[in-house]
Amino acid sequence: MTRVSLTINGKPHQFDGDGEMPLLWHLREDAGLKGTKFGCGIGACGACTVHIDGAAVRSCSVSMNTLEGADIVTIEGLADGARLHAVQEAWIAEDVAQCGYCQAGQIMAAAAFLKDYPDPTDEDIAENITNLCRCGTYVRIRKAIKRAAQSLQTA
Amino acid sequence: MNTHISRRSFLKSAAATGALVIAVGASPRLLSAAELNSERLPALLWLDKNGNVILGVPVPDMGQGTHTLAAQIIAGEMDIDLSNVRVELMDFVGKTNEKGIAAFGHLHQGAGGSMTAMLQWDPLRQTAAYTRSLLVEAAAKRWNADAGSLSTRDGAVVNPASGTTIGYGDLVKDIGDGAAPAKWEDVPLKPLAANKVVGKDQPNLVAPDIVTGKPIFGIDQEVPGMLNAVIRRCPHVKGDLVRFDASKAEKMPGVRAVIPLPRLPEDKAERRFIAASVAVLADTLWQARKAADALEIEWDGKYGVETDSKLLQEKAISLLDGAEMTETVAQGDVEAALKGAAKTIEATYSYPHWAHACMEPQNCIVDIRPDSAEIWVGNQFMDEAINAVVYACDLKAEAITAHFYRLGTAFGRKAEHDFLREACLLSKQVGKPVKVTWFREDEMEQDYYNPMGAYRLRGGVDGKGRPVAMHMRGTSDARAALYATQEIPFGLIPNYKGEWQQLPSDVSNGAWRGPGSNTRAWVTQAFLNELAHAGGRDPLDFLLDLFSSQSKVEMKNWPNLTLGLSRYVTALKTVEKASGYRTPLPRGRGRGVAIFTTHHSLCAHVVEVEMKGETDFRVIKVTSAIDCGLAVNPLGVRAQVESGIVDGLCAAKYGNMVFERGVPVTNNFDTYRKLRMDEAPLEIDVHILDFGDTSPRGTGETSLPPFIPALTNAIFAASGKRIRKLPIMEAL
Ligand code: FES
Ligand code: FES
Repeated sequence: MTRVSLTINGKPHQFDGDGEMPLLWHLREDAGLKGTKFGCGIGACGACTVHIDGAAVRSCSVSMNTLEGADIVTIEGLADGARLHAVQEAWIAEDVAQCGYCQAGQIMAAAAFLKDYPDPTDEDIAENITNLCRCGTYVRIRKAIKRAAQSLQTA
Repeated sequence: MNTHISRRSFLKSAAATGALVIAVGASPRLLSAAELNSERLPALLWLDKNGNVILGVPVPDMGQGTHTLAAQIIAGEMDIDLSNVRVELMDFVGKTNEKGIAAFGHLHQGAGGSMTAMLQWDPLRQTAAYTRSLLVEAAAKRWNADAGSLSTRDGAVVNPASGTTIGYGDLVKDIGDGAAPAKWEDVPLKPLAANKVVGKDQPNLVAPDIVTGKPIFGIDQEVPGMLNAVIRRCPHVKGDLVRFDASKAEKMPGVRAVIPLPRLPEDKAERRFIAASVAVLADTLWQARKAADALEIEWDGKYGVETDSKLLQEKAISLLDGAEMTETVAQGDVEAALKGAAKTIEATYSYPHWAHACMEPQNCIVDIRPDSAEIWVGNQFMDEAINAVVYACDLKAEAITAHFYRLGTAFGRKAEHDFLREACLLSKQVGKPVKVTWFREDEMEQDYYNPMGAYRLRGGVDGKGRPVAMHMRGTSDARAALYATQEIPFGLIPNYKGEWQQLPSDVSNGAWRGPGSNTRAWVTQAFLNELAHAGGRDPLDFLLDLFSSQSKVEMKNWPNLTLGLSRYVTALKTVEKASGYRTPLPRGRGRGVAIFTTHHSLCAHVVEVEMKGETDFRVIKVTSAIDCGLAVNPLGVRAQVESGIVDGLCAAKYGNMVFERGVPVTNNFDTYRKLRMDEAPLEIDVHILDFGDTSPRGTGETSLPPFIPALTNAIFAASGKRIRKLPIMEAL
């Protein structure tokens, strides 16, 4: 039994359980946060991407016992109340989602990426956005990231 | 979480508050309050007193945009704003046939064959038109006016004579039980020119739920008291269970049961339906996963060792070299024409198995009770999902309650029964609801793959570079090669012969986006490109001549249409112009063209690639023209074309499901490579052709097949390398 105190989407949260459990499973199975998705379990697809202390991390590959004091944000916590994050808005405006399954991970990856690359080029996006989308929405993701970058800069 | 119950209780309240409720279908009708309280409801559209419509959509959405399209059809025909339409997936409204099996009723409730738009168009439009007519009638009564003199606009009935309007919501209470409404047959449909929604770009209506992470997929569901199952399945395609030791697993926290399941069918001569396996059932998924990993299992791997990708490929080639094959089509005298040809060529093409790699792995919850069952699942076909339970548990379809959800891609894989069958067997044994969740390794190892195939082609051109003969021999471990050998250009080349033979294999095959077309478009259109070069012709000119040589051609393959070839010419000229086909490119760049009809629609692409050194490339630009009939949602059509292009690029460049001695060895995204942002095309320019058609046709599976030959033709133009073996990355 491992006890871990952390923050999830701004709320203090306590974990008591198997410290080897990946964060993804804790979020989905214990915390009822189903927005973060399972895709591969080996850190290869990005469907499970969340923010840990502001950085995009693949939650299937992070054990609970490494998260003492961590500040976790999931897709459910990205918006500011009813006000969507610029990336979420851009995703709607560019009509990115098809099935939508990968998109929570894509959005979390893009939101963190834009903090480091506020004015990204195609190359920056190609190098840093590595999440899989089986619906092949990459062309629209690229546009949406640029749109979000613009609106974050003018905000 | 249980939308079914909330919907039903909403309905009850709709009944109580006097909302207008219509049974959806090609012959819609007004529902009485008594019917609303009955147990089994038909498919519904209801209009509340605020003028909002809620529509039950018949077909599941797996990314093809069904829900958005359905809302557009309703809003456009009813003259209401899209923001006033809410859509949700309707229950199964089919019937139980005399054998106890679920069958579609008056609505088609399956997503497959790119038929969703085609099959929803009429019933939804008719339903909306009928609803609108009821409202107009009600307004006419109030105003004591002639219904024929009234019109509708923005969710209201308008009296042009007086300039007055009444909102739809206000009219709801007038349309009661006792009303004798017009017959739906007499209700005219709105002319398309007057439709303000159909034909306009409409973003995905589910996007707000998607971008905020709402639990809308099958994998997000839970029911009280359920156990989570993690199943260790036999990896050998033909293998079986020898023994297992669960002593460690059984002691682990949360574990409730360890249950072995037999391979089905038991006869190993038949291809696998479900694998022999050992399931761990625990309170949580993580507990089940950990305990399943702690199982010690001995598999019997001595069967099917010849299921080996290398070996299968060799067998396929030797079949092409030697065996007598079965003739599929023949026209003219191929041998004589080849002898008389100015130039002849011969080539061998082959491609491996592809896995589906559905982003959301298979999952379901099943609760088998003594005389009934309930399931929660994302499945492409509602009847099939229910029948999986019928067959597994010997229940009648009417005893099964099914809840359906959005699918995180499906591509043909989620029309199958296997994952539901596993959950049925487990739930029956433990007497509780059981959720079965597949992991990525299961999804790839236990797939029903796109078949592999190999082809030997011979062809000849005359002195003017026109094709005079073609001979195509094919083999595949499903019927795909049969269909390939009778594909167009059969019917366009005067001397033609097709032959095929099935390649014996133990690999389970299934539908994979554009079944059969996904690879036969490549083989035929790439070989035509070789013929063009053999005759010294520009490939696009060669195709233009070929498709201008007669006015129509019969498709030998499903859906067996007679194709008017002037549309081919229009499509080719569209991509020629829009891609700047005739402008020269720098060294290392090249363009390729291909055109193909599948799933009722036609698509042409010009692909421009740039080589990255000798052994890699990037797609710079794809220019596409699609003829898919009426584009109800052009934005959605473009999304599907883009999706097919990226999926085709991914499959052609990397797709390679490898079997070694009876075991699939590429089983996750580290070994089965998929395309990502860095290799996605920089630009996709889609042109939707308008030939004045008044109903929609297939879209989701039409752009992928011709993309692959356009790509390999472009690589040839850029590098001089002819790709005749997929995946491209192993051939370059
Ligand atoms: S599920 Fe975590 S990266 Fe794929
Ligand atoms: S939108 Fe379907 S997998 Fe990305």
